[in-house]
Amino acid sequence: MWNNIRSMFTGKSSREVAKGRLQLVLAHDRTGLEGGRLQEMREEIAKVIARYVQIDAEAVEIEIETRSRETQLTVSSRIQTRTAT
Amino acid sequence: MGRAIVITSGKGGVGKTTATANLGSALALLGHSVVLVDADTGLRNLDVVMGLENRIVYHSVDVIRGKCTLQKALIKDRRLDNLWILPASQTDDKDAVTPDDMRRIVNELKATHDFVIIDCPAGIEQGFKNAIAGADEAVVVATPEVSSIRDADRVVGLLAQNDVPARLIVNRISPHLVKRGDMLSQSDVIEILALELLGTVPLDDQIIATTNKGMPAVLEGKSLAAKELMRIAKRLAGMEVEAPSDVGFFTRIGRALGLSASPA
Repeated sequence: MWNNIRSMFTGKSSREVAKGRLQLVLAHDRTGLEGGRLQEMREEIAKVIARYVQIDAEAVEIEIETRSRETQLTVSSRIQTRTAT
Repeated sequence: MGRAIVITSGKGGVGKTTATANLGSALALLGHSVVLVDADTGLRNLDVVMGLENRIVYHSVDVIRGKCTLQKALIKDRRLDNLWILPASQTDDKDAVTPDDMRRIVNELKATHDFVIIDCPAGIEQGFKNAIAGADEAVVVATPEVSSIRDADRVVGLLAQNDVPARLIVNRISPHLVKRGDMLSQSDVIEILALELLGTVPLDDQIIATTNKGMPAVLEGKSLAAKELMRIAKRLAGMEVEAPSDVGFFTRIGRALGLSASPA
């Protein structure tokens, strides 16, 4: 209980930090992508999207999340719409 | 026909050999005939944990090279008359044992015993491949630490690729550290690894003392860890035992009251 009160004021407990770090590292481990492969994929996906719509290539983001043994890869990018320009 | 169960973890030093010695002894205490196989070629240790180091004559590589029969290489435990161990060779030849060799040995042992418990070496290389080759199922041992769980996850993936179903033992959990918010809880580990839990073994000084003496803790039977290991052995044998309880009681209450800052 003290821990919960403490964590309200001072941030996360070491247990929660460990859990967060693990979820991130496992999500990446489970993809099997090593070194710069993820970056390469991001650049390639950005090029493909840019062929169809106007985007800022730097703004393409890849997020890997894991829940149970399912790992999900999400690509997100802001599109520069014609009305906005 | 017996069942072959490999005890594995990825990371070293998390308690695989201790788990193998204790679960095997517990299953023998329950009346099953059990062989423990040390698959850690070159770094043999199951013999010392079992206190049988002075009785080794032959080992697995002698069997593979036809220097002796499998039956002759087995060492009979002097405390329980339905428990044997097959020691590993201390050779540094990494090709001395192949997955086919292990499969042949394990299958022969399964024909004559109820349980073949295989102590897997750390790592995911040749020794790991050998150890899982003859296994029908796996028990993954993980301690509640980031490095251990990360390696366990890698092993769980490799076991799945090889169609070996796996269950989990969370080892060396310290209830007061979990309550204080300084250790991952049993449910955290299950959630992350997504494995069925066999049981959680508490951190227990008695294990160190019994291991010093070459005595599996379940044979003394008094410590908390020994009781839990016995319960896990019963579950392995398919006996009905109550589900293990979580130690993160205060954390759960806190979360129910909305006090915890942990993500859902």
